[in-house]
Amino acid sequence: MKKILIVDDEESIRFLYTEELEEDGFSVEVAKNGEEALEKVSIFKPDLITLDIKMPGMDGIETLKRIRELDRKLPIIMCSAYGEYKQDLTTWASDAYIVKCADLTELKTTIRRLLGLL
Amino acid sequence: MSDHPDAYELLTKIIHLSTTSLPIKDKLDQMLQAINEAFGADQTLLLRREKIVENGFLWRLASENKPFWIKEESSLPQEQVHPREKELVRPPFACLPLFDKDTFQGTLYIGFPKNRTLSPQEMDLLVLVTKEMGEAIQLSHLQQKVGQTSSELTALHEMGKVATSTLKLEELLESIVKTGLKILQAKGGVLRVEDKTTKELKVQWSLGDYSQHLLDEKIAKRVLMTQTPFLLNHSGMDNPIHSILCVPLRSKERILGTLAFYDKETDPSKFDERDFQLLLTMANQMSFAIENALTHYKTSQLAWENEKRVRELTILWELSKALLTTVNFEHIIQMTLTAITIGAGLGFNRAMLFMVNEKSRSLEGTMAVGPDNAEEAGRIWTTLSKEKGILSDLIGHLDLSKDKNSALNTIVKGIHIPLELEDCILSKTVLEGRPFNIRFPRSEGAWIQPACERGCHLGSEVGCHVGEHLSRDPRVYSFATVPLWGKGKVIGVILVDNLYNQNPITDEDIKILTMFSTQAGLAIENAILYRNLEEVHQRLKETQTFLVHQEKMAALGELSSTVAHEIRNPLVSIGGFARRLYRSVPDEAPEKRYTQTIMIEVSRLERILSDLLDYTQKESLTFGEVDLQEILEESFSMVSKDLNGGEVKLTKEYPEGIPKVKGDHRQLIQVFSNLFNNAYEAMKGKGTLSLRVRPVAKNGSTFVRIEVEDTGSGIDPENLHNIFNPFYSTKESGLGLGLPFVYKIIVSHQGFIEVDNRPGEGVTFIITLPAAREEEKK
Repeated sequence: MKKILIVDDEESIRFLYTEELEEDGFSVEVAKNGEEALEKVSIFKPDLITLDIKMPGMDGIETLKRIRELDRKLPIIMCSAYGEYKQDLTTWASDAYIVKCADLTELKTTIRRLLGLL
Repeated sequence: MSDHPDAYELLTKIIHLSTTSLPIKDKLDQMLQAINEAFGADQTLLLRREKIVENGFLWRLASENKPFWIKEESSLPQEQVHPREKELVRPPFACLPLFDKDTFQGTLYIGFPKNRTLSPQEMDLLVLVTKEMGEAIQLSHLQQKVGQTSSELTALHEMGKVATSTLKLEELLESIVKTGLKILQAKGGVLRVEDKTTKELKVQWSLGDYSQHLLDEKIAKRVLMTQTPFLLNHSGMDNPIHSILCVPLRSKERILGTLAFYDKETDPSKFDERDFQLLLTMANQMSFAIENALTHYKTSQLAWENEKRVRELTILWELSKALLTTVNFEHIIQMTLTAITIGAGLGFNRAMLFMVNEKSRSLEGTMAVGPDNAEEAGRIWTTLSKEKGILSDLIGHLDLSKDKNSALNTIVKGIHIPLELEDCILSKTVLEGRPFNIRFPRSEGAWIQPACERGCHLGSEVGCHVGEHLSRDPRVYSFATVPLWGKGKVIGVILVDNLYNQNPITDEDIKILTMFSTQAGLAIENAILYRNLEEVHQRLKETQTFLVHQEKMAALGELSSTVAHEIRNPLVSIGGFARRLYRSVPDEAPEKRYTQTIMIEVSRLERILSDLLDYTQKESLTFGEVDLQEILEESFSMVSKDLNGGEVKLTKEYPEGIPKVKGDHRQLIQVFSNLFNNAYEAMKGKGTLSLRVRPVAKNGSTFVRIEVEDTGSGIDPENLHNIFNPFYSTKESGLGLGLPFVYKIIVSHQGFIEVDNRPGEGVTFIITLPAAREEEKK
């Protein structure tokens, strides 16, 4: 069973994603900010991470960088509530960039692809 | 007739004769005759003192101072008789002394026939007669003196008239010589004046041809040196000149010259003491007059000089006024050069301006004013002399276009001199910051050193362009250069010359020219500052507008982003859970439709949000002119910062003149940092990264082509067609997901991206972006 770590500061988002992904058969862990994310990475050792960009404290980009320092190959999806153009410089270090949407199809497809499950 | 005189008759005759107006000689003759007749003598003589033989008998008698009557030979001491007076000393004779007051004038000698005796009464009579004769002589002397005095007074009067008649030196000298001639009754006169600078004695005026004789010059020189007058009578039989009188003309302590007169019109031609005195007096008088005239002459000269300077200063003032009316660089230069060359002003024939180019360290010809040839020069002068306009009008209403096309202007504009050309006079003026006044001596047609190999007379040792053009006319001429100062450094040079009229350039001219150039320098500095100010101001305005817009857009964007973020998250939750509910609700249940509605509405909201964001985000995209070199450098530095170590060689081909590209600075940095990073990863830290940029033309438009080449292993051909697919990516292929992103950006820039893949050798990404067009700049 593949493990996914959801990082987002919004409770409702974490809830929704957890419900959906667990339904799909993934083992899900959540973190509500960058620091927590880093902790959980070492403990939970996820196979994939979804990373919200705008978070209090350490934001998504910074978190991405730090995770990458630990693991260069771990698939990471950047999830943005902003829109397509607000991509930052280091988002090329991630594997995908999606805009958060009520329809989680795109997210799910991307997860499957990155985990080689397609 | 009796032998014994009638005393009364004789005396009456004598007195009568005395009172006539006959000349003294005739008077005396007649008196002697009367005496002779009255006394019946053999001869009656009046022996002048000088005629009496010295130490002779008669002389002895005369020295006794009393009358003698020698009756017989026996009473004559023969040894005392001088052989020369033997004729006279033949008794019987009488000797009576003649006195003019107390001065012995001579002896009255009366020779009587033999055996004549003289009675005491007769002797008394003779004494009376001699007294009368003495009186007559005295009278004549007095008359003579009076006459002399009178004529002297007249002479003085004449001199006075001459001295005060005129201040004009020439006329004065003429009068002096003419009057002197009259007073002295000479045949000719020469007036010489010493030239202070050359120390030469030059003839100022002469009457008669005496100045032609060498003797005259010799005499004049001698008089000048010795400072004493010179009188020569009887200069010699073979000499054409008979008598010479020369005096120095003195004034204060200085000798001005000499005044000489020749050949007195008397017979014999002799100048006497009186003439001498007269001439000395005249010389003294005249020297004052001459001094006055000289002073007057100097004063007029100074006045003329002053006038000239006043005129020049007026021009300067007019120019200053005119310069205040404009900040246009060209106008300023033209006004200045015209003021310098205008006839009423300094009146130089030609004027040229060269400006210093700091960047290229050279002098560039900027403008020139002046006629192209002598005919044109003459035309301009005649026109200007007719024009009576106020100078400021002349300068202010210049026909600016006319001068632009003059040949001289065209030539000067093409001149370009490096400042390091130290021997070139123009460079020298700039480097030393002082004016130069170069005077060449006149010579017939020959070319004068210093000259350079091209025959440039400006003294350059190295061939330069200036000389070639300016020395079209091989006549030598003088010219001057002054530096143009602005803000403490030399910003240019003005060169002036008098090619056509060959007038010399004086130090005063240089001073005035410097004043003009100072004015011009200030005005030019002002104009440059003003232009800079305008430019800066314009840029500031533009930047301000731009920034304000940016701010607005950014704010809007920020706002939108924040709003979007705030709204999106809840929407995701709402829609997400609605979806879950929808799935878990059976189709027949009314909740199916409820949840579906929620989903649809949420979708709608999301769309609105996207559109809104699209719009604002697109606006906040700043599509400006970007310098690709900057972008590439920045991207590279970003990438190399993050990757430590590795041996990657970088080659860059970035030629000059790459046009700017229309695009968003930040996004393009993302594009290239992406590509560079991919390249690095592909090469695994070892290899060569090459960057090549060049402009291309496509369908009539200009583009810029950037090639990023690496020496990695290349892309697996199977994956090649998917590299820009955002849904397809293999981290193992080492590409990362930047490429779809890159693709998107390039497309939004209306550019193209191509891939040249060489498996095993490397990959080249070719990006083509449109160049920013000229019109869009404004």
